[in-house]
This record gives sequence, C-alpha cells and structure tokens, in this order.
Amino acid sequence: MSDNNAKGAVAPAGSGRGISSFLRSRWILVFLVLESIFFCFRSEGFSNLNTVQMLLYYGVLVFLLSVAELFVIVTGGIDLSLGYVLGFASIVSIKIIERLTAAGLDPGLSLLVGVAVTLLIGLLPGLVNGALVAYLNVPPFIATFSMLGVCHGISELVINGVYAMGLPKLASDIGAGHFLYVVPGSSSSSFFQRPEVERGTAVLEIVPNIVVVTAIVVAVFAFVLARTRFGRHVYALGGNMDAAIRAGIPVKRRLLGVYALSSFLASVAGVVYAFMYVSGKADAGASLLLDAIAAVVIGGASMFGGSGTVGRTMVGALIIAVLDMGLRMSGTPTFDKYILVGVILIMAVIMERYIKEAA
Amino acid sequence: MDGESAAKDKEGFLGSGAGRFLAMNWALCFLALMLVIFSLTGQNFLSINNFQNVVHLQTVPFLLASAETFVIITGGIDLSVGFVMGLASVFAAKLIQVFLASGMGVDAAILLSVLIALAASVIPGLVSGFVITRFKVPPFIATLGMWGIANGLALKISQGYPMAGLPDKLPGIGNGYLLYVLPGRFVSFFAKPDGFPDSRIRELWRLVPFSLPFIIAALFALAFALKRGSFGRHTYAIGGSMDASIRSGINVDAHLVKIYVLSSFLSGLAGVFNVFQTGIGNYTTFNAQYEFFAVAAVVVGGASLAGGKGRIWSSAVGVLVLAFLENGLALSGVLPFYRYIAVGVLLVVAVVIDKLFPDVR
Amino acid sequence: MKKTVVAVLVVLMIALVALPGFSQAKPRILFMPGVADPFYYTMEKGIKAAAAKAGADLVVAEYPKAWGPENQIPILQATIARGKFDLLLIAPTSTDALKAPLKAIYDKGTEIITVDTFIGDGDYSKASDYSFPLSYIGSDNQLGGKQMAEQLAKLLGEKGKVYCQATNPDASSVQDRVKGFTAGVAEFPKMKLVGVEWCQDIQQKAQEQTLAALQKDKDIVGIFGLNVFSAQGASQAVVNAGLTGAVKMCLWDATLDNIASLKKGNCDLVLAQKPGEMGTLGVEWGLKYLKDKKNVKVPKKVIPGFMFFTAQNVNDASMAQYIYQ
Repeated sequence: MSDNNAKGAVAPAGSGRGISSFLRSRWILVFLVLESIFFCFRSEGFSNLNTVQMLLYYGVLVFLLSVAELFVIVTGGIDLSLGYVLGFASIVSIKIIERLTAAGLDPGLSLLVGVAVTLLIGLLPGLVNGALVAYLNVPPFIATFSMLGVCHGISELVINGVYAMGLPKLASDIGAGHFLYVVPGSSSSSFFQRPEVERGTAVLEIVPNIVVVTAIVVAVFAFVLARTRFGRHVYALGGNMDAAIRAGIPVKRRLLGVYALSSFLASVAGVVYAFMYVSGKADAGASLLLDAIAAVVIGGASMFGGSGTVGRTMVGALIIAVLDMGLRMSGTPTFDKYILVGVILIMAVIMERYIKEAA
Repeated sequence: MDGESAAKDKEGFLGSGAGRFLAMNWALCFLALMLVIFSLTGQNFLSINNFQNVVHLQTVPFLLASAETFVIITGGIDLSVGFVMGLASVFAAKLIQVFLASGMGVDAAILLSVLIALAASVIPGLVSGFVITRFKVPPFIATLGMWGIANGLALKISQGYPMAGLPDKLPGIGNGYLLYVLPGRFVSFFAKPDGFPDSRIRELWRLVPFSLPFIIAALFALAFALKRGSFGRHTYAIGGSMDASIRSGINVDAHLVKIYVLSSFLSGLAGVFNVFQTGIGNYTTFNAQYEFFAVAAVVVGGASLAGGKGRIWSSAVGVLVLAFLENGLALSGVLPFYRYIAVGVLLVVAVVIDKLFPDVR
Repeated sequence: MKKTVVAVLVVLMIALVALPGFSQAKPRILFMPGVADPFYYTMEKGIKAAAAKAGADLVVAEYPKAWGPENQIPILQATIARGKFDLLLIAPTSTDALKAPLKAIYDKGTEIITVDTFIGDGDYSKASDYSFPLSYIGSDNQLGGKQMAEQLAKLLGEKGKVYCQATNPDASSVQDRVKGFTAGVAEFPKMKLVGVEWCQDIQQKAQEQTLAALQKDKDIVGIFGLNVFSAQGASQAVVNAGLTGAVKMCLWDATLDNIASLKKGNCDLVLAQKPGEMGTLGVEWGLKYLKDKKNVKVPKKVIPGFMFFTAQNVNDASMAQYIYQ
C-alpha cells in the first residue's frame, strides 16, 4: 500500500531545522490545535475550561480503546471484540459490586474488589483471542469477530433484558466527581467533595477523577510500548514476523500478551463506563470501536503493523472528539454533521500527506 | 487458495486427492458439513423453500462481499459499502417518486431511475479512489470518510424516513419466482396463477427466485474478471507487491481507482436491488454494519487482509457459511443470545481446522 | 503548487464548517432526542410547530447514532454548554445513567420534561432522587406490548402460535414491549409465543429471522413486529412466504410503509404512538409552567396513548395525522 509509515518506522522525529519542520512532522498535532482554535470562534461556548474537561471526560472510553487497538494494530492484527468486551466488563463489574454491597460489604471495599475481579476476568477474552491468533493461526479478524459474538451473547444472557444496575452512590460520586471544586466569588473550595450550594449558583469543577485515572493508565501503557523490551518486541512483530523469530523474540507469547493487554484495557474502559453511567449493557462499547480504530489510523499507524505511538493515537482520538464536539456546539444539523465529519477527516489526512511530502 | 502446485508434493492424506480438495476448499466442505448436520438437528431445515429463502436474502451480502473481495485483494478495505448501498437505495427510490409525480409511466420511471442510480453509484468510488491514489490517504480513512458522507447524503435525501409509495411492481419483481408449480396439477411461469387462493399458498412449490439467476450471473461475471484478463492479474499483482507492479509497468493508480469504483458500483447495485426486494427506499442504519459482515465473509472465504489472495466464489461461500450458521442454529432451536456464542465458536472451529492444513493453500 | 493546494484546502475547510449556521439568538428550548429514527424525527416536527406557535426559540441537539447513554450524554452536555436553556425536552436513553446529569442541569436552573422514556421508574410524584423533572410524557411500552397481544388474540380467536420480531435488546423501550407482549400472550392459555428474535434495526435481518421462524414452526399464525424496521422486515417476510392472510400481522410504528402494508392487506393492525403529540404537549406544558411557576401544576405523568390503525379506519382523514411522516 502507498503508506509511508509501513514496515519499520517507529516515531519519525522531526528532521531538518527549525520550527517549520518541527510543525510539519507533527502535522496532526498542529491540525488539532488549529481545529480547536477554529471552533473556539465558530461555536458558542466552546472555549472554556468546562468544555475542555467535557471533551476529555467523554473521550475517556475512546482513549482507552484506541490504546488497546494500537497495540494490536502495531502487531499487524486487529481486535474487533473490544467494544463488547467493554460492555461485558461494565456488566460484570456492576453485578459483582452489587452483590458485594448487598451482602453487607463496605461500599468502598466492594468497589475495589469488584473492579479488581472484573479486570482479572477481562483478561480472558484477550487470552483466548491471543491463543487463537498465536497458536492456532486463526486470522485476527475472525478470532476477534467471533469473540465479539461470544461476549455479546454472554452479556445478554447475564443481564436478561435489564441493564445492570445497583451501584452504590460512592461509584457515581467517583465517576462524576472532580479533584477540586471552587465556588467562585466565595472563598470555599474543597477536594473530592462537591460543596452544597443553592440551586442556580455556579461551581467550578476542576479535573474529573476519571480523566486522571485514564491519563495514568494511558501514560503507563505509552511507557510500555515506547520504552520496554515488550514494547520493542511488539513493534518487531508488526515489522517483519520472520525477522522477529530469527532475532529470538518469543513471538507467540508476545502476541498472546498483546491481545490480553488490549482486552484488559477494554475492561478498564468497561469499568470506567460503569462508574460514569452507573449502568451496564452489552453493547456499551459497540459504537466506540470504529472511532478507536480511526484514531489509531489518523495518528499515523499503518494497518499492516510496525508503526504508531500512543501519543499520536491520542492526538488522533482528540481530533475526532474535537470535531464531534465542535460541530455539535456550532449547531450543525445532524445529517450535515455526518457529511462534514467525513469530509474534514479526509481533508485532515490529505493535508498531512502534503505537508510530509513538502518536508 | 492458490497453492496448487505445492499441494501435489505432499504425502499421505494431504497429498491424496480427497485431502487436497478438502484443504483447498475447506470453506465449501465446512458449508456442506453444516448443511448435513443442520438437516438432522434443524426443524424443516432441509427444504427447497428454506434454501431458496436464505440464498435470496443473501443477494445483497453476495454483492457487498464481492465488492470487498476486489478491494481486499489489493490490500485495501472499503468501509463505505453499507452506506453507499443505502444511498443508492434512497436515491433510486427518490428518482422513482419524482418521475412518477411528473407523469411518467411506471415502467419507464423504474427503468430510468435504476439506470441513473447505477450510473451515479460510481461517484463515491471515484472520490475514494482519487483520494487514496492521488493524495495517498489510507483506504481505511478514505472509505471511513465516504462512510459518513454517504450516510449523511442518504439521510438528507430521505429525511430520515423509509421511502414508501413506490409501485407494487417492484417487490413483485424483487421477490418473484420463475416457476410456480402445484404438484400434479400445473406449472406457471413468472407469476402465481390468477385466482389462486392465498389460503392454499403453502401447497404451491415456488422455484428459482428471480434473484438467483441475477446473482449467479453477477458472480460469474465478477469471477471471470478476476481470474482471466489483465484486470484480474493486475489486481492480484498490486496486492502482492505494489512496487513490483509499478516496475512491471502496471498503472497502479488508475487500477486502484477502478477497483474502488467497482466496489462502489456493486454497492450501488446492491442498493438498487434492495429497492426491488423491499419495495421501499431504505437508508442503512448504524447498527447494520454490512461492511463488517462483508469483510468477514471474504476472510472466511480465505482471503487475507494483507492482500494478494481471495476469490469471488470463495467469498460467496463465506457469505453462505455465515448465513447458514445463523439459519441452521435458529432452526435447530438455539435461542438468539446462545446463537451469538455458537456462531462465534463454530466459526473459529471452522477456521482452526482450515489452518491445520498448512502449506496447501 | 503544493502550498497553494494546502491553502485552498484550509480555506475550504473553514468555509465548510462556517456553512451550516445557526442564528446566535438566545436559545430557550432544547430537544434532546433518543436516537436517529423516524419516531423522533416526527416528534421533532411536533416540537418545532409548537415552539414556533408559542414564539419560543428551539435548539435540536444532534441525534445519537445508537441507543444508549454513552451516545446521548456527550451530545447533551455539549449542547447544554452552548448557553442557557429554560426548558429541556429529553428522551432519556437510560433510566439510571441520566439521573445525575439531568439533576446537574436542573440545578443550574433548567426545567426538564422527559418525553417518550423516563428516568428512575417514571413516577416523579414521589420524592426521590429523580423527582425533579416536571413531567413524564410518553408511551407505556409495556402496556402497548400487552395491548398488541390482546389485539392479536382477538384476530386469532385466542389460539395459535405467535412470534415476536424485536430489534435491539439493549433499548429499554424495546425490552418493555417484549415483556408486555409476553405477559399478554401468557394470559391466553391456547396461545403460545414460540420465539423472540432481535434484528438490531436491520430490516433485512428481520426478514431473515422471520422467514426462519416461519420455516421452523409452520403453524405460526400471528406475528408482532415491534418497531419500524422489525415490522417492515417481518411483514415482508410474510409476503415473501406467500402467507399473507394466513398469518396475522401486528406492526408497531405507523410509518408510510407500514400503513401502505395495511392498505394492501399485508398486515392487520398498525399501532401508532403519538410522537408529535408528545412533543407538542411537552412544549405546551413546559412553557405554561415557565410563565407562571407558582400557580401552574404540571401533571407528573401524561400518557397520550396509542392509536390503532386497522383496515377499517386506515383511510379516515382523522387518522392521517398519526402517520409518521
């Protein structure tokens, strides 16, 4: 394919001199900034702290899923099951936590235990996917496509027609909560607890809890991909499988690890979903998967593997999120928005190619 | 599926005629196996009626899977097939409505609308292909963009409502049969005999839906284009190695545009057929994910997403495998949510077995 | 040359985004639909007309791509952030997930009316953490499902096998209709519900599933198609199988296609919800309350009910207003 990033290149550093080449090699970042500035003028209410936080807060699920997809895509594969793994995790976590609190366990403790157990269970779909891909040579598309169906079926059977519900209030407090609250005009501010005010007064909310958690998770996995031996092996797998084997990389174990990791991240997203929306359903992540993969590709990764970074993927995810939010806030009618998103995405990538070629 | 010479050297079972056949056509064998098993476990599975129903309703998936086959062989992907189909469906319906309102005769309106809609359905492919070749946009993004554009346009044309008010002739053609037989009594062509009471419909044998010769002809034509002739050769060459193709003088850019135009045209054809089959102009919903299942069918049929492999008939078999899995399990009484699991497991089993025949592909 | 192209592209992009416009006038009513489908498009029309009549400004939020809080809440929050709204008409896509965000919006001073669906258990009259909305104006989907079962029973002489073609198991309104239908059928000992299938809003799938069901149980005599796509697909399957007349069809949602089916005799009953009326009532009650908060008592629950189209009344002029178009 006519893709400059294919096979081998990791993160192309800015070559040449000065600001212009710096900007050119990071065009998607520049695009993101331009896009954001643009919407500040065009859309009412766009340029304020609240909007930025909203963007990050609601973008969290796609951020996590896109990091998950990145790992898999770098190895030259694809994981289609992540949306339903997210849903499955949202259901399992709520069911467990609900049972524990009903049994009398302290809410904080049941949350902790519930989340931990869910994350452990969340490794399973990935382990199965990885085993199929690595040891039985099943194409990733088929393996993860089937896992999607399996997760979907199990989720639906577990909830039996009713959303998973019944989380203790602590969960929604955490999910909707922020690190810092300030009531402007008065001298009161507090950490973690929302101050009691009269209806109609504004309260400044700073840094949602969920965003902090996600940032930490993303940073950890960015580190894993960029700086650990595991990460280097992951890139090698995507670059050239035979060369990787010759170099002594335990290819099968790594693949297993990659799929387990992506399924784990999707489960984290599922747990986050449960805290954000205090309900769990089977298709919770279904509409997010395409955005997650798009984020990875916009971020410059090749679908054949071997390239892509977490940072660029985040920029890709943000570009989509800003586009969505900006168009929403500018009052664009729904049908027009679908068209515009398509057109602008293509244009963004076209511009990137042009700028790269000019470099 | 093209390692024919390698197979001849294998010893034992794999080298024997039966083993080789099994290995190279596993999807087909799996399909046959499924049909046999479901005949035993399924209620009323083994009946002409059932088979015809399933095949008839796979006409659209056949077309979309064929579209994806071409694109995937070149190492690309086309995410927009589902929404281009919806756009064509809505556009054709709109044209029919407009022509009828302007006083044109029913047949003329239908014919003209079909021709215009088919002609117009190459446009999305032209745009995608242009963007992919001239601007080097990855196919995923280009067709994702087209996905959104086609969807938005379809919704704008239809204003979000399914477009009804079309002539009854349409579903009559779309769902009609070539032969109507009352065993022991008579045979009638193209239409139910006049005056035949509805209440006795179940006694009638209806054979060969119109869609069947249509789709077989289409598949033959497409398979021919892919197997013989320079079009097919170039397609495989590009999928195998882009650089080698350029060096051997193939105009890769022009060819790729043709591929995406073909894909878009087939999606348009599917959309037009949809109007005949449903009798209304229907936009595609987000849940439908037609492109998803089309690609799955192509991969089940043995193609690789990295490009270079794939065949029209194999993809068609892939479509049938997915369709009969659903149908067979449903008729065997497996409840919906258990079916999601069962389809997943069985599909994996099928592919695992397929991959146990190494090197013969 | 390349620089020019880039410049042109940039200008084009700015122009494109600048094109779709909305006046900067102060918005006052916000309509947050549940999902992109004909039911809500029809509701929007009712709301638009009522708002125009009352001289209020209306903002319609983006239609969510799929049913669920993860699709609806980001849109809601983004649109709310655009400015102050006096009234929010929303079709909540989750009974629990919407409680907190809506409460926050209420606390900032916006009045809320939930249309078509509800939060909590829909009863806003008792004090609870979801009693702040002014009213719930909507369908009782469970009752609707039950009524469909009863109508079907009447058509079938209270006996026989029936089948339900449903759509998305993760939408509460759909689940409610299925539950109502199942309970309704259970009240007729000589009737049996042989299956419920989920087509995920894909008409073609509805057709496949219905045909398979008819193939499996050749003695199905009644079918309930539960929303636009499942109804259209199921009724088509029956026509395809040549079983028109032999199988009684009850369809939910009065789209032009379903009404045409009724007229052609391909189905026996079409249930029309009243999305337009729900929207209109929402606007009217909301504005009434805003004008005079102290004295106006808004009923906490308003159920406009359903209209049933049959072969007898389908051509009546008085019924035409209930068709979704």
